[in-house]
Amino acid sequence: MEIVRLTETQDLSAEDQKFCEATKAWFKIDFVPKMSRVLLTVPEFGRPYGRASRRAMADGALSRGEKELIAATVSAINVCEY
Amino acid sequence: MWYEVAYVAGVTHALNAVADGLRMSPEFAPTGRTPLVPIPETFEPEVKTVLDEIAGFYAMEGPPAVFRWMARDPIFLSGYWSATRAAFSDRALDRRMKEVLALAASMTGKSDYGVDLHLREARRLGLTEQGLTEAVEVVQLFNTVTKIADTLRLEPDFDPRLEGAGRRPAHE
Repeated sequence: MEIVRLTETQDLSAEDQKFCEATKAWFKIDFVPKMSRVLLTVPEFGRPYGRASRRAMADGALSRGEKELIAATVSAINVCEY
Repeated sequence: MWYEVAYVAGVTHALNAVADGLRMSPEFAPTGRTPLVPIPETFEPEVKTVLDEIAGFYAMEGPPAVFRWMARDPIFLSGYWSATRAAFSDRALDRRMKEVLALAASMTGKSDYGVDLHLREARRLGLTEQGLTEAVEVVQLFNTVTKIADTLRLEPDFDPRLEGAGRRPAHE
């Protein structure tokens, strides 16, 4: 059970809701991930973090798919259920 | 493919636990730390055959200390090495990518021994400096979000009991 009340997408600013729509398209999902709402709860944190994420997760020397495998490995070692 | 990721994560984490737990010095950038246990240096011929194969797999002059330690029990060494070799061989994922995953697992697990070994292996198998930069960025990003998720005890977005296109947020 979460220890905080998660910010609802509609409570975010218009700019951040637009970012949430881009996140849905990026992951090909029809909902806004909780983590996006958590990060954007403090926009001064979430916006630059999002910029760093989009930069780092795009295709480059490693493909986006390869990067998702690295992410899954980190999550496995950290035993992160989310 | 996900089985391959899991095997690599599991084997890497276990070897790192043994190597760092017993304070073995990293293979390529030795720290000078002294192992808590004696690491065997001489072996019976049949064990040496396995250890030579291991050294060859890693393109090293001698086998890594963590496998020399295992040689105390040749039957265990033989089984665990064969499983390790299978886990790291080219299949759906190639060996270079598996070494990148092992590096990510080692960094996340804060393993001096594992980071040293898998950084060298990933580079030897062709990981470029740009590739290394990108891999470390992903490691950093996902160590951030996993810690945030755990701190807030976030429950998964997906219900793991549902598969594919039918998946919906678990909280709906």
